[in-house]
Amino acid sequence: MSANIIETENLTKSYGNFTAVSNLSLHIKKGSVYGFLGPNGAGKSTTMKMLLGLTKPSSGSFHINGRTYPKDRLAILRDMGSFIEAPAFYGNLTGEENLEILRRILQLPKSAVEDALEIVGLTEHRKRLAKKYSLGMKQRLGLAGALLGHPPILILDEPTNGLDPIGIHEIRTLVRSLPEKYDCTVLVSSHLLPEVELMADDFGILNHGRLLFEGTMAALKRTADAAGLPTHDLEETFLAMIDIDNRNRGERR
Amino acid sequence: MTAYISPFCMPFLEMRKMKRTGFCQAFLGGGALAALVPVVNMALRAETFTSQPGSPFQILMEANWQLMAQLNIFLLVCGACLLYHTEYADNGLQKARSLPLGSSGLFLGKLGILLSAGLIPLCLETASLTLCCMRWFPDRPGESLRILTGMAFAFAMLLPTGAAMLLLSSMCRNMWISLGAGVILVFFASMLPASSSSVSDVLALVPFCGPYRMLHELPGREAALWTVCLCLGESVLLCAAERVYQSIRRCFA
Repeated sequence: MSANIIETENLTKSYGNFTAVSNLSLHIKKGSVYGFLGPNGAGKSTTMKMLLGLTKPSSGSFHINGRTYPKDRLAILRDMGSFIEAPAFYGNLTGEENLEILRRILQLPKSAVEDALEIVGLTEHRKRLAKKYSLGMKQRLGLAGALLGHPPILILDEPTNGLDPIGIHEIRTLVRSLPEKYDCTVLVSSHLLPEVELMADDFGILNHGRLLFEGTMAALKRTADAAGLPTHDLEETFLAMIDIDNRNRGERR
Repeated sequence: MTAYISPFCMPFLEMRKMKRTGFCQAFLGGGALAALVPVVNMALRAETFTSQPGSPFQILMEANWQLMAQLNIFLLVCGACLLYHTEYADNGLQKARSLPLGSSGLFLGKLGILLSAGLIPLCLETASLTLCCMRWFPDRPGESLRILTGMAFAFAMLLPTGAAMLLLSSMCRNMWISLGAGVILVFFASMLPASSSSVSDVLALVPFCGPYRMLHELPGREAALWTVCLCLGESVLLCAAERVYQSIRRCFA
């Protein structure tokens, strides 16, 4: 059996003439943290939405935990916790009630809610209406929803948005610890490149829907070095790769 | 074995989401208002009606049902808008769609809630009509069964309207659009001619028009059964339409 828990094969999503994701082939190892990098509009969220069945791929396929989409859609979703773009919740319910609804859908034990609230540090505010939460607290509630029941796969789209530096540090430490603690695989996207560098084992760099690089930090440095790109920090390497790709795209046009 | 939530539990789960939205209060208040219509009418113009020959239930329905039915439809419109507004307001729907639920589970759960809530005004109206019969037509007893069958028929006539309005609400992220469209449809339906029986036979099957139809207007038991069966079939078709809409929406999301 493949060591990859998530594999996509030529995954493509087009909207009319615009291709948001083009022939994307990702390989995400079981028990790893995979950092998904790319500028705005690169197709990171669209890819994550396709993996969650929120949007239908135009072509290509993907397998998650040995299951194929769309045949095993429910089983795939059962294995995944997700946090996409912005916190999603019911504002008229308290934080605890929000998680209670998710718990019932996922058929988890009652203790799962307390556990998730504890992990994200919302226990104290569990009785407060979610619409009255600060942005950071909403973000934590979204994360708690994703972590509920410790799913084997977590898909987190910019999970540190809106958090203060302490919150960012806490979430980073949490994400980093998840594979070891809960035997879980994490796909995390972020604009904060040094942030991903500290969290991820493997990286995927996306630009205009195309995967420019996939591999470990060491492999990225080797690739960048061979191409004559700066290698002293990820941000410089990333910006140089994007710049070259943008110029190549311009020439192709 | 992987456990999934039973579709029969969905309405109970959806009901939890309606906490603090004023959903039940709206149906209770609106139902009480509709139930007051025959009482006030009889209290103010008792002689006009008591002097008429025939079944008291039919006399009361002829005099009041137009307004009562309009209020019932309006409550369904508001209820459907509220049910989906809670989903769209804080992006809860996106989270719900990434959970292991059948693609129509959410819609059917909400339909169950909406139609159950639709029973509240009908029950209040049944009680009100029964009281009116007892108070103002004491010399003409034996109306209970006629009232019950009449109101059961009224409930069947509400089914396609509830399903159609919920479908409309599920399509509109902005509640004011679905509410506006619903209100326009309510008033448009009330203006359609229903004088000739062939026209009213067809109109009885159109969502938003059907609830104005009364059981005693139909030529016989068989016609009533056919009308109810067609309404049930129409509701099933509207549920199927929602499923098709979800598949299409996923392509463009």
